[in-house]
Amino acid sequence: MKLVEALELCRRPVEDAAPEFRIFLACGFTPLHLATFLSAALRVALPESRVVVETGLFGDLIGSIDRAGLSSAGSAVVVIEWGDLDPRLAIRTLGGWKPAALSDIVDSATEAGARLDKTLIKLSRRMPTVLCMPTLPLPPLFATRPAQASSFELNLRRAVASLAASLSECEGLRIANTQLLNEASPEGERYDVKSDVVTGFPYALPHASVMGDQLAGLIHNRQPKKGLITDLDDTLWAGIVGEDGVDGVSWSLDRGHMHGLYQQFVASLAGAGVLVGVASKNEAAVVKRAFDRSDLLLSRNDIFPFETQWSRKSESVERILKTWNVGADSVVFVDDSPMEVAEVKAAFPQMECIVFPKKDYPGIWNLLRHLRDVFGKPFLTDEDAIRLHSLRATGASQGVLESAGRSSDDFLQASEACVIFEPIQPAGDARAFELVNKTNQFNLNGKRFNEAEWQSIVRDPAAVRLSVSYKDKYGPLGKIAVVLGRILGPTFQVNAWVLSCRAFSRRIEHLCLKYLFETLGVDEIEFDYQVTARNGPLQQFFTELLGRPAVPPIALSREQFTAHVPELFHRVEGTIHV
Amino acid sequence: MCEQENRLVRCFASVFPWLKPEEIRNISAESAESWDSLSAVTLSAVVQDEFGLDIDPEILPNLDSFEAFRTYLRQPNLGGE
Repeated sequence: MKLVEALELCRRPVEDAAPEFRIFLACGFTPLHLATFLSAALRVALPESRVVVETGLFGDLIGSIDRAGLSSAGSAVVVIEWGDLDPRLAIRTLGGWKPAALSDIVDSATEAGARLDKTLIKLSRRMPTVLCMPTLPLPPLFATRPAQASSFELNLRRAVASLAASLSECEGLRIANTQLLNEASPEGERYDVKSDVVTGFPYALPHASVMGDQLAGLIHNRQPKKGLITDLDDTLWAGIVGEDGVDGVSWSLDRGHMHGLYQQFVASLAGAGVLVGVASKNEAAVVKRAFDRSDLLLSRNDIFPFETQWSRKSESVERILKTWNVGADSVVFVDDSPMEVAEVKAAFPQMECIVFPKKDYPGIWNLLRHLRDVFGKPFLTDEDAIRLHSLRATGASQGVLESAGRSSDDFLQASEACVIFEPIQPAGDARAFELVNKTNQFNLNGKRFNEAEWQSIVRDPAAVRLSVSYKDKYGPLGKIAVVLGRILGPTFQVNAWVLSCRAFSRRIEHLCLKYLFETLGVDEIEFDYQVTARNGPLQQFFTELLGRPAVPPIALSREQFTAHVPELFHRVEGTIHV
Repeated sequence: MCEQENRLVRCFASVFPWLKPEEIRNISAESAESWDSLSAVTLSAVVQDEFGLDIDPEILPNLDSFEAFRTYLRQPNLGGE
């Protein structure tokens, strides 16, 4: 993006009522055009918001980080350059580069890193923080020729890498990936010496533009997609298993190695909680035998469900979406056949459908990188590890119910269900945030929260903020519901309420209300309820509970609830924060 | 109006978005309160970026009006007409 385009984007009018998205940019240099490019990239990512970028003071990075923590910004971006670690590592101050000073420079930079570590941890507990480690070349201060790495330089780089590695473990902090930055912005073209000397802004404009894009992407932190539906023949392996035979399909260095790489990658996605399903035109028995091969890099346990039949791919995809209970826009479909991809895309326009680029080595490499981008998440949660298991268990428990013809009451009673209510913690509760922003079907009003809004809610001492976990004899579902609200006299006002679709049909929603009435001692619950295009299950729940169509506003008295609640069999654990 | 001048007007408009094109052509540091050091730095960066120039910092203080920028860009060694 050119600077003129960035300025125009920043000055594009927004509606008066547009929500404000305020961030604090802390850097030791003049923020100038970086602030402009960052603001422009955020305007693109958040077209409905009024983006405001506050900045700190020149030459005082730690002070600026402290000010960010005291500001009204909802998120912070911190950009460290070498001069912030020791001014002698920049060129605007002339502090001396004699060899005798180099050891002291390394020591003082290491100490500055330790101070930054503490300050950044503190800031990241206060607000979501994005950090960029030094991107500019070190000046020629070392005694070695540039082709030779000096031990001082290597120690400096080690100190910076150590600081980044330590901070990367803080949940509220995301560090810009230098590998991606290196690809988009050549290292030799980043530094604008003249601009640094004349204005105090050290970045060449193309570098500032790339930085703005990458940092904005990290602040925006869009939600990852939930599931991957993949084809088998000439996609997960090379060959057609129905024709070549189970032993004839391949993913070795001799033939089809890139398919093996894809298998390895899909297994990695499954391990990170991404739902993986198979849609393949094949005989189920043949596919089953193929998955018996011990050298397959993807276990059958990583996949659920398998849809192997001969009708249209879109029918298989539809069944998988139904099993997962997720929307098409949360899913990526991969198949080597352009025709199948087009057919699925026509049936599900919101789904991202990708032709597997077989025999195109860089194409497959780029596909894997793209899939990591759409499925990647800042941190894995415990729920990520059990998602597939619980989905399978849900399928199994529903199968038990259907095949045995047992009543819901009998089944639920025999399930040995346990529900745990806990207060949502301001830090370390990424799953609750994820649930509120990903759940569509049982969602009170479809409201989404950015990280800053979420932090404000969970830190509000007057708010009731409740997470709900579930387990039964079929296994744990993990954290599956969130309730946010506040008590106003005899009434509890619910602002947000979501329940994962994995937890439907267990009367957990009824138990939530019972728990609220009993624990909060209120006589009535008011819901900030809105009909959305996708919250049909919630509408149906209210309709059944109230005995009338669910039209906002909705309030439920204790008497109404008691009169309509079905029998509940759960064991309840935990206390809530009020 | 030539393409070069259109592009220069666009550069000025990105820094002074409240001005009309005819006002932009008459703007100078002396006449416009909003022409402060920050807008001057931004303006020179926008123009250098847009036209692929590397303006000598020593002549930057002389580029204190739309007309001065237009004259600067017309120098034959910059590809001006």
